Amino acid sequence: MKKLLLLTLLTYTSLFAQVKGEVAVPYISYEIKMGKGFEAIQANCLMCHSFGYVTNQGPQSRDFWHKKVMKMITHFKAPMSNEDVETTTNYLFEHYGNGKLK
Amino acid sequence: MQRRDFLKTSIAASAAIVGTSLSAGTTHQPNDTREVSKMAFPEKRPLITYSDRPPLLESPRSTFTKQLTPNDEFFVRWHLPDIPTYIDPDAYTIHIDGLVKKELHISLKELKHDFEQVEVEAVLQCGGNSRSAFDPIAGGIQWGSGAMGSAVWKGVRLSDILNRAGLHKDAKYIGFNGKDNAAYYETPNFVRELEVEELNDHVIIAYEMNGEDLPYLNGYPLRLVIPGYYSDSWVKMLSNITVTNKYKSLFFMDVAYRVPDNECECETPEEKFKTTKPITTMNVKSVIGYPENGMKVYHNSHIVIRGVAFDDGHGIKAVMVSTDDGKTWEEAILKKGSSRYAYTAFRFAYKPEKYGKVNIMAKAIDRLGNEQPLAKDVKWNHGGYKYNGIDTVQVEVI
Repeated sequence: MKKLLLLTLLTYTSLFAQVKGEVAVPYISYEIKMGKGFEAIQANCLMCHSFGYVTNQGPQSRDFWHKKVMKMITHFKAPMSNEDVETTTNYLFEHYGNGKLK
Repeated sequence: MQRRDFLKTSIAASAAIVGTSLSAGTTHQPNDTREVSKMAFPEKRPLITYSDRPPLLESPRSTFTKQLTPNDEFFVRWHLPDIPTYIDPDAYTIHIDGLVKKELHISLKELKHDFEQVEVEAVLQCGGNSRSAFDPIAGGIQWGSGAMGSAVWKGVRLSDILNRAGLHKDAKYIGFNGKDNAAYYETPNFVRELEVEELNDHVIIAYEMNGEDLPYLNGYPLRLVIPGYYSDSWVKMLSNITVTNKYKSLFFMDVAYRVPDNECECETPEEKFKTTKPITTMNVKSVIGYPENGMKVYHNSHIVIRGVAFDDGHGIKAVMVSTDDGKTWEEAILKKGSSRYAYTAFRFAYKPEKYGKVNIMAKAIDRLGNEQPLAKDVKWNHGGYKYNGIDTVQVEVI
């Protein structure tokens, strides 16, 4: 009988939504390096994505990071000043760079 | 310094010089050192976590011992940060408009009752799965091999819905949009646009995954399922289908998810190929689920090597396993899924007869005769897409 009940329960679970009410996506604080230009990173990048996106790209060239920043402006329409483009690119290359300009 | 060593060094040095001037891209085994995070996301068990916003979650290797990927282990990849965290299933509708004879608003209930219900078991894989195999590092999330999964998807044929709406004669493209939003109003939506001709009867709009509602993070309550295609086109939280006769220029179609438009789909880091094409259908691939890198196994014990293999729907003919660095290969036992788009599970009985480090390799061959290349023979592309090198795990026999 217990088995039967369990079986009935299992069969019926698929008819219910798995989640009742709102889901909450947890906040994870990704470790990020501090340094010159960090404020600009915080102000411009965090609006759309976590620092995980920055730290999980692997070490990259200055050119790569510059293109990433420009992609955020051109394609994702991030409202960034020219000054912030320089500041964020320099920060990214200094802390997440591979030492190569290109 | 021994003469031989000197020779080796000078060869290495000259190779390095040639290497920098040519600077060809190379490939190797993808990263397999990341561990699952301590934090679980809604309806998920703890997975490898690259980002919380947008959520990017990868399945660990052990997931690939299973022919069907459990919903709570299934990988997650979103493009935009603002994902609805509450959806009222009684109020949700999908809207079909554009070059149709009759615009439709279909509720979830109508979808489940007024159309033929169909199921397909199919693999969902990110085009950038295994991107960490590329060197120089390709831009994008450095996935290991776990941005893939296979499930039984239940829903309604897209063609049945389009037939009910009635396509105009000049209908050529179908755009799909989901409910995820960007932080800025001006950011383009994650819209996919496919040609009418690409969409066969196997394409469905699914509301169920492995007998349960889709998890939120996998696109609850509706997502597009395009068997054989990479997941960039499987739009999640699908809310709008728009039929057009003109191709709209879209970032996620025109810039992202593209490979060089040449036969090898390859290029060099310094001289990128000028024209590109969308990644579309998947190439043949397999991943070992057990054993895992770094495991210790006993001498003369009985090990069952397990894993999964798939292609774009031609079907897997064989999976070959090697335990001697690829010198000899033996056929694994296969277990087919319920459709040609599903994982073919494989297992192989292995009795380690020598001590020390052993490389276990698995190579899938599909029914067209396509087989996986060695990791080092996969050709480099700047987006790090479509890696399908022979998977290798190293165990130590003690």
